[in-house]
Amino acid sequence: MTILSVSNLAKQFNNTYAVKDLAYQFTPHQCIALIGPNGAGKTTTLQMIAGLLQPTSGEIIFDKHKSIDRRTLIGYLPQQPVFYSWMTGSEFLVYSGQLGGLTKTASRKRSAELLDITGISEAKNKRIGNYSGGMKQRLGIAQAIIHQPKLLMLDEPVSSLDPIGRREVLTLLEQLKTEMTVLFSTHILSDADEISDELILLRKGEMIESGKMKDLRQKYQTTKITLQFLENQAFYQKKVAALPHVTRTLLERDTVQVIATNIETARQEILQQAVDEKWPLLAFKLEQATLEEMFMKAVNDA
Amino acid sequence: MMKVLFKKEVLENWRNKKWIWVPLVFILLAIMDPITNYYLPDILESVGGLEGGAVIELPTFSPADAIMMSVSQYSTLGVLVIVLLSMGIISGERKSGVIELVLVKPVSYTKFVLAKWLSLLLLVFAAFIIGMMASWYYTNILYGEITFSMLLAVIFYYGLWLLFVCTVSIFFNTVTQSPGIVAFATIGTTAGISLVTSLLGIRLAWSPTNLSVYIQELLVTGDVSSELMYTTIISIVLIALILLASIYRFNRTFIRRSQ
Repeated sequence: MTILSVSNLAKQFNNTYAVKDLAYQFTPHQCIALIGPNGAGKTTTLQMIAGLLQPTSGEIIFDKHKSIDRRTLIGYLPQQPVFYSWMTGSEFLVYSGQLGGLTKTASRKRSAELLDITGISEAKNKRIGNYSGGMKQRLGIAQAIIHQPKLLMLDEPVSSLDPIGRREVLTLLEQLKTEMTVLFSTHILSDADEISDELILLRKGEMIESGKMKDLRQKYQTTKITLQFLENQAFYQKKVAALPHVTRTLLERDTVQVIATNIETARQEILQQAVDEKWPLLAFKLEQATLEEMFMKAVNDA
Repeated sequence: MMKVLFKKEVLENWRNKKWIWVPLVFILLAIMDPITNYYLPDILESVGGLEGGAVIELPTFSPADAIMMSVSQYSTLGVLVIVLLSMGIISGERKSGVIELVLVKPVSYTKFVLAKWLSLLLLVFAAFIIGMMASWYYTNILYGEITFSMLLAVIFYYGLWLLFVCTVSIFFNTVTQSPGIVAFATIGTTAGISLVTSLLGIRLAWSPTNLSVYIQELLVTGDVSSELMYTTIISIVLIALILLASIYRFNRTFIRRSQ
């Protein structure tokens, strides 16, 4: 079952593609992370789906809602939302709700609810001009969901927030997932890892990986060995790198990360040599590589 | 939907005090010249410095001249005020980005432009009508009678020119994101039309900038000339076309295909 299908989506700016051949089927009640380094085309993608930008080619189709304005089904929060600073938070929400098709009474009622949920009800009668960044972000989320959209899109919703604000927003998104599909962009993998069910990885406008989080974790699961020596990390790194089954070593702060084709054999070799040459080994650890490796690999290699 | 958008504009103009200063400026512009010209002899006398024998010939003004003083102030400074008022009405919202939050909601682009246009007209016409009433009041006291129906005729015909200026400004608002360019282009366009009209003379007899010329004739003769009629029709057609062009431009800029 899909709620939204995007196919062959592309956007060209002055002969360069900001987004190219993007295709994805969105399932209801999922949280999808759109991830990629800066300039990967995340914002362009969201703006095209939101209807703020006309795609150069491709289709965006809301299943079962073919004849209506798709903006009624979408809630959108830009990266740096700008409000009418002369309005109060409450006024802006009521206005947004009315633009979203609610009656004034319904919009007032829903605004009051959302001000509570997002935790800004004490500031509801203050001018938005006096709001802090975190409060604006919450107001931004409230205006995006006021008309109960089927798809909520957020552009970098947590990257400008402090750790507490970030936590709160991520929790809120997890709750919202029960009511709608959530699509958010981020360049921080751990945010995606934490709450999303699916992931779309973009690089220079192209989708280089996508799918369910758990499938991707399985696919990119690698084991690595972390070594720590008393001294001379770089010296021992070279020694480890010379071993036949080791494919790659990495000096990371004061540890040596080892990736091997066959982790079992590599382990034997390292331990054997450590005993033979009396290496001043402090720590030896077998670890599951996180998605970070996939992210780095996908972004660097492709 | 239109009502929601329109009410927001009116509220915004109230919050940023435009509802106060714009009418005040229009009253000031309207009464400044009629009053100073009336009291000019007294002012000169009290300033003094002239020898007893010197005789200054000051022109005497008719009531029609007095009303036209207000109109000519509006043609220069009044237009400038309208341009300053309206230069960021859409372009400013695009520049700041606040328009994104409005246009991601299911809002009709046509209604958005129309609401902006109507809210601008409401403010400008309220100020203009109040200003003309003030001018009429002082003209009647200081210079002699102008009938109320004649005042209404002046308001109607000159209002067309102001309507034209407002619509041109809305059009440039849909073209660029820079309020400065909107102001420059609007002033440039209206000044350009005036220049071309005066250069071509009789061949452009029905240009909207000639409205004030024919209004002066109307005040003197009391008859609506055929030139005024045709100029009115041409102006209305031009205003409608520019408004349609604005709506078209805005829709094109933010094309959204619902499917």
